[in-house]
Amino acid sequence: MAAFGSLALLIALALAAYNLLAGAIALRLLATGTPARISPERLADTARRAGIAGFVAITAAAFALVWSVFTNDFSITYIMEHSNRALPGPYKFAALWSGQEGSLLLWAWLLATYGFVLRLTHKSDVTLHAYAGTILAAIQVFFLTVLNFAAPPFSLLNGPAPDDGNGLNPLLQYPEMVIHPPMLYLGYVGFAVPFAFALGALMMRYPGEKWIKITRNWTMVTWLFLTGGIFLGMHWAYAVLGWGGYWGWDPVENASFMPWLTGTAFLHSVMMQEKKGMMKSWNVWLIFSTFLLTMLGTLLTRAGLVSSVHAFAESPIGTWFAVFMGLTLAVCIFTYVLQRDHLKSDHHLESLVSRESSFLFNNLVLLVACFVILWGTLFPVISEYVVGNKVTVGAPFYNRVAVPIGLFLLFLTGVGPLLPWRATSLKSIRRNFVLPVAVLWVAVLACLAAGIRPWKDGTFDGGSFYALVAFAISAGVLTAILSEFFRGARVISKQTGHNLFAATYLLTRRNTRRYGGYIIHLGVVVIVIGLAGAAFNRSEERELALHDKMSVGPYTLQCVGFTQDANLNYNSEYALLDVYKDGKKQFQMTPEKRVYLASQQPQTMVAIHSVPNWDLYVVYEGSNPDTGQPIVKAFLNPLVSWIWAGVAVIVFGTLVALFPSLSPATASLRVPTARPVPTEPVLRSGD
Amino acid sequence: MSETQGLVAGLLLALAVFVYTFWPENVFASQRAKTRLDYLFERKDQLYENLRDLNFEYRAGKYPEEDFQVQRAQLENETAQLLAEIDHLQQA
Repeated sequence: MAAFGSLALLIALALAAYNLLAGAIALRLLATGTPARISPERLADTARRAGIAGFVAITAAAFALVWSVFTNDFSITYIMEHSNRALPGPYKFAALWSGQEGSLLLWAWLLATYGFVLRLTHKSDVTLHAYAGTILAAIQVFFLTVLNFAAPPFSLLNGPAPDDGNGLNPLLQYPEMVIHPPMLYLGYVGFAVPFAFALGALMMRYPGEKWIKITRNWTMVTWLFLTGGIFLGMHWAYAVLGWGGYWGWDPVENASFMPWLTGTAFLHSVMMQEKKGMMKSWNVWLIFSTFLLTMLGTLLTRAGLVSSVHAFAESPIGTWFAVFMGLTLAVCIFTYVLQRDHLKSDHHLESLVSRESSFLFNNLVLLVACFVILWGTLFPVISEYVVGNKVTVGAPFYNRVAVPIGLFLLFLTGVGPLLPWRATSLKSIRRNFVLPVAVLWVAVLACLAAGIRPWKDGTFDGGSFYALVAFAISAGVLTAILSEFFRGARVISKQTGHNLFAATYLLTRRNTRRYGGYIIHLGVVVIVIGLAGAAFNRSEERELALHDKMSVGPYTLQCVGFTQDANLNYNSEYALLDVYKDGKKQFQMTPEKRVYLASQQPQTMVAIHSVPNWDLYVVYEGSNPDTGQPIVKAFLNPLVSWIWAGVAVIVFGTLVALFPSLSPATASLRVPTARPVPTEPVLRSGD
Repeated sequence: MSETQGLVAGLLLALAVFVYTFWPENVFASQRAKTRLDYLFERKDQLYENLRDLNFEYRAGKYPEEDFQVQRAQLENETAQLLAEIDHLQQA
C-alpha cells in the first residue's frame, strides 16, 4: 500500500498543479479576450475536472494510509510510530491525524473534499467558481508539495519491519479525540473556501455582493465546525488532562481561537456589506486574516515554535508554512492594492449609535481580542528574539484582558439587535432598552442577595465581580433576545391568528438567518453563564486510605476500595469512591489511572458527575511514593454543564440559520415616481 | 498489497484520472459577463428586503413613528433612484 499511496499523492500533486496552471491561463484568456488555439472555456473545464480528479487521488492516498493502519503495516514509519496491534479500531482511525504527516494528509483530503463540492456546484456562477477553484488549487499545490517532499506519510523504515508499533499517544486515546481534530480541521480548512471566493471576487472585480450569498453557507458551516472543534477540544482537555479546567490559554488552543474570532467578525460584518454595501475592504481583509490565522495555527502546532500539550509534532515544515504564508499575504496585498477602487462603500456610517456602528464595534472588539491573544501567543518567540529569553505569557494575562473584552462583546450582543439602522433617537432607545436594562439591574440585586459580592471584608474579589457582571449582562441580553422573538411573534400572530408558539415558529422560518443568529446568541449567553461559574470553583486533595473520607462542597467522598484491570492496550488502577450528600449515599465514582503498554506512558481518566448546578470532578493521582497511600483530588466546578448546553444551542441556531427562509409574503410598496437618472451612478460599486 | 501491485494500482489510477480530466466534451457550463444591470437588479432585491425588514420592525414596535417615517423615506428614495437607473439602462 505504501507504493500505491505515494503514487496517488504524486498524481494528486500533478493534477493540482495542472488545475492551477490551466485554470489561471484560462481565466487570463477569458479576462483579456485574447484568441487562443484552445477555447478558454474548454481549458477551464479541464482544470475543473483536474480538481475533481485530484479529490479522487487524495482519497485513494488517505484510504491507503487508513488501510495500512488497520492491517498493521509497520514497515511504514508513520504507522510504526502512531499505532500498535492492540489499538482499538476507532483509535486506529485517529492515527490518521495523530502525527505530522497524517494530519497534513487529512488537511489535504478535506481541502480536496471542499474543492470537490465547490467544483460540482460551479453552475451557480461559472467564472467566480473558476477563480475560487484555481485559488484552492494553489493552496492544494502547497499542501501536496509538503506531503510529497517534506513530510511523506508513506516513507518506509530502514531495515525489517518490527512486530508491533509504538502505539498512539495516550492523550489521544479518548472518544472525543476521534471527532475533535477532524472537526477542527474541517473548520480550519473550510475557511479556505470563503477566502478563495473573496480573493477571486476581488481579482475579477466581481460586480455586487452576490459572492457573499454564494459563500454564506460555506462560511457558516465552516464556522460551525470550528466552533464544535474548539468546544470538543475544551471538553477533551476537561475530561483527560485532569487539572479541573477546560481552557488554559495554551498556544494551540489560542491558535484555534484566533481564526474563530476573525471568522465570527466576518460573519457579522458581511451582513453590512450585503444589506448596505458597506465595509467592503474591511470584510476582504477579515477573511484574508482568518485564512492566514488558520495557517499560523498550523505553523504554531507543527513547527514547535511554542511549547504546548497539544503540539504533537515538531519538524522543519514550519519554514514551508512561513514561506507559504508570506506568499499568500503578498498575493492578498498585491490584489488589494490593484483593485481597491472596486471596494468603495455605497454608504457611510451616519451615527455612532446605530445597528451599523454596533456591528463595527463588535468587529473592533473581536479584533482587539484576537490581537491580544496573538500577542500573548507569540510573546515567547518575540522575547526570545529580542532579549534572548523565552518569556511565557500565562493564563492570568489572558484572563485579565480577555474577560472584560468578552463581557463587552456580550453586552454588544444584546445591544446590537435593538438598535435601528442608520441612526437611533432617544425615544427609540427608551422604547427598546427599558426592559433589558431593568432586568439587568434586577439580576444584579438578585446576585448580591445570593451572596455574589465583589467586596468581602473590605477586599475586592475580581472573580466574584466579573461573575456578577457576567450574570447581570446575561440576564439583560437574554431579555433583549427574547423580546425580539416576542415582538416579532406578536406581529405574526396578529397577521395569521396563530398562537404565540406557532407564530414564533413561523417568524423563525420567515427569516432563519436573523432568528437563527439570535438562537446562537442565546447559546453564547448560556456559555457565558457557565464560564462565570469558574469564579466559584473549589477543590480538595487528600491521601485516602481505605474507608477514609474527604469533603468538597455538599459532597462527602469515602474510599471503599481500589482495584486493577488490564487489557492488551493498557493496565489501569481505579479508586472506588462512594459519594454521600446530606448523609445519604448518592452514587459511586471510579477515577482511573492507566499505563499504556506500547508507549509505557501514564494517563488519567477523570470521573465526572455532572448536574446543572455543578460538576463533581474526581482525579485519581496515583500513590504517594513515600507513604504508599493513594492520592485523590476532588473539584466542585459550578455550572460547567451550561457550557456544553450552550454549545448545543449554538449548533441548533446555526442549523436554523442554514435552513432556507420561507419566501417573503408579497406586499405592495409605496415607491415615489422614478426621477430622472443622475449623471453619476447612484451606487458606486458594480461597475 | 505488494509493491508491484501497488504500482500497478497507482498507474491505473493515473490513467483513470487522465481520461476523466481530458475526455473530449463539447458542452461546457458558461455564462455571459455580469452587467451593471444585473448588479442593479440584485441591489433592488436587497433594498426591497431592507424595506420589508423596516416595515416589520416598525409593526413589532421597535421604531417610533417619526423614526420610521425618516428611515422609510430614505430607503424609498434610494430605491426610486435605483429603479430610475434600471429604467434608463433598459431603455438604452
